[in-house]
Amino acid sequence: MPRAGKRKGRLLEFVVMAVTVALVAAFSIAVDGFATLGNLQVILSNSASLVILSCGMAVVIISRGLDLSLIAVMVAGATTFSIFINADIPVLTALALTVAAMAMVGLVNAWLIAYVEIPAMLATLASAMFVTGLFRFAILRGEFLLLLSKSNPAVIFLSGEVAPGISTPVALMVAALIITWFLLRGSAAGRTIYAMGDNFQAARLTGLPVRTTTIVVYVFAAMAALCAGLVTSAASGVVDFRTVTNGTLLFEVILVVVLGGIPLRGGRGGVWNIIIGVALIAVLRNGMTLLNFTSQTQDVLKGLVLMVAIVADNYLNPRDTETDAVGDL
Amino acid sequence: MVTNLGNKIRSAAHGIMIGASVLLAAGTQASADTNIAGKKVVFVPIAMGISLTEGWARRMREHADMHGYTLDVRDAAFNTGSMAELLAKAISEKPDVLVVHNPTVQLLARQIKQAESEGIKVLQINLQSNQPSAAFVGANWERIGREIAEDIVKECGAGSGKSGKVSIVPGQLTAADSVIMNEAAFKVFEAHSEIEVVSNQASDWEPEKARQITATVLQQHPDLCAVFGHWDVHTMGAGNAVKDAGLADDVLVYATGGGDNVACDAVEDNVLDRVWSYDADGQGRDAGTMVDLLLQGAAGADGAMMSVESPMKIIKSGESYDPGLCWKM
Repeated sequence: MPRAGKRKGRLLEFVVMAVTVALVAAFSIAVDGFATLGNLQVILSNSASLVILSCGMAVVIISRGLDLSLIAVMVAGATTFSIFINADIPVLTALALTVAAMAMVGLVNAWLIAYVEIPAMLATLASAMFVTGLFRFAILRGEFLLLLSKSNPAVIFLSGEVAPGISTPVALMVAALIITWFLLRGSAAGRTIYAMGDNFQAARLTGLPVRTTTIVVYVFAAMAALCAGLVTSAASGVVDFRTVTNGTLLFEVILVVVLGGIPLRGGRGGVWNIIIGVALIAVLRNGMTLLNFTSQTQDVLKGLVLMVAIVADNYLNPRDTETDAVGDL
Repeated sequence: MVTNLGNKIRSAAHGIMIGASVLLAAGTQASADTNIAGKKVVFVPIAMGISLTEGWARRMREHADMHGYTLDVRDAAFNTGSMAELLAKAISEKPDVLVVHNPTVQLLARQIKQAESEGIKVLQINLQSNQPSAAFVGANWERIGREIAEDIVKECGAGSGKSGKVSIVPGQLTAADSVIMNEAAFKVFEAHSEIEVVSNQASDWEPEKARQITATVLQQHPDLCAVFGHWDVHTMGAGNAVKDAGLADDVLVYATGGGDNVACDAVEDNVLDRVWSYDADGQGRDAGTMVDLLLQGAAGADGAMMSVESPMKIIKSGESYDPGLCWKM
């Protein structure tokens, strides 16, 4: 990638960071209780599942893919685990079985994309519908909600603290960021992921293992979704299938990734971009909640931020001959 | 001889009593022969798969089976777009009675008016539209909002030694129950200047959103006295935030709901403190009875809307807690 392009690509990150810093400053002055250690803990804790989901989505998008089944897998994973623990199956066995089931969804996604060669958007949309339908009607028998007992040891662990002041969701969030960083920067698969995102055909023609890497990408995304599902359901005490059907969380995850500076055409970005994207959304959401804005107003403002980000992304990362020829999502 | 005569009289008396019972029973059966067999009723709920609507459908089906009319349930699965379509299709089928569960006061108003103008009697259940129709069966939201607000004033107001700070978590700001309860509650609070509503943010009926809002509000107002959630399911998220913050003994969590065993479980788990239950099981029976009457031609005087108000059951934690107030599917 030319050096000038790299610099231009990073401009969006700086814009988003500047906006975040400005918001932090404004909220600190204007909102009582914003600039406190306790509020920082709440921001981190409330952002944990969003960060973990964004790790999965970022890796997929960097490889020039898209995973629309992320939220369906998140809720399906939480449902599977909850059913097992409610049936008094030992936690580790329940976790192993859930991991295997959700990895299978990731594998099917990857197989459809890499081997059957269906576009990622369509393959994952279909699998999202299949998983949601299967779980709602065959497993939950039409129920939308599955309640979790707060006295269950697994729930206590997932919503508790690993060390004084560090909640399990925050610890899992940090672990997800480290694993994502290692996958992208410290492994051979990571180099292939960037190559696939940069120019998929070139990566394939040079003999890189694009098919097996696609499997790694989508299974990783499914695992991230499962982890986010466990964190969310343990915290609220409910597995809620409306999270899938109302669709706002999926768009929030895409918003975070795009805002952070990872272009939808892939090939660029990393953990830092996820942190930047989540920071803006988390600060905005927290500040607006403290200011007692209605959820509709919050949605309008978040939508506005997304529009500005997309326009800025289009201006700062203009399409060139190469990206136009390869196509966009 | 005398004994024989006595026995004969006794036998004759028994015979008369049995005969009378048979005649009475036949008479009862005759009065139940309402000639409504073969009629068609369509029920369009916001979503099946939740105890509220499942409980209503169960009782209405019992009435349909008893009288030989059909009850079709069209599940909108929390999708307001598909709900309008399902209702349009139901109207085109010209049922005798349409049972509608309004997500907002405005959404289905035009279609309710259309159905009534085409001679279809519309029974609105629990959530009322701006558009009146043949009948309404459901909770008196004004009463619930007022009673909860009065209880909050008693617990958090003058002389209680508490801060008087209240957080309200409606479902949707335009849903009938949220609109009416908020109006009634604010009317009470306005007369008590010591009560301060520090947050009034809708959770879109989602427990996780309610949890995040409450965690943030608690950070800003650790001396919060009460949370008033408009539906027990999403309020469980708020209750879990209170519990996770270690404030379960200091913050009272109020909710309303259909009063199934999940509400009692939540009270036992200290996730909810006080639930104003409108007893969905009883509402289902009221709705079934109202459908029977509408099919028999019952109508309000001068075309006015007939109305059946659900009696309330108040489920409270503490010494007066009674699990018998909840019902089970």
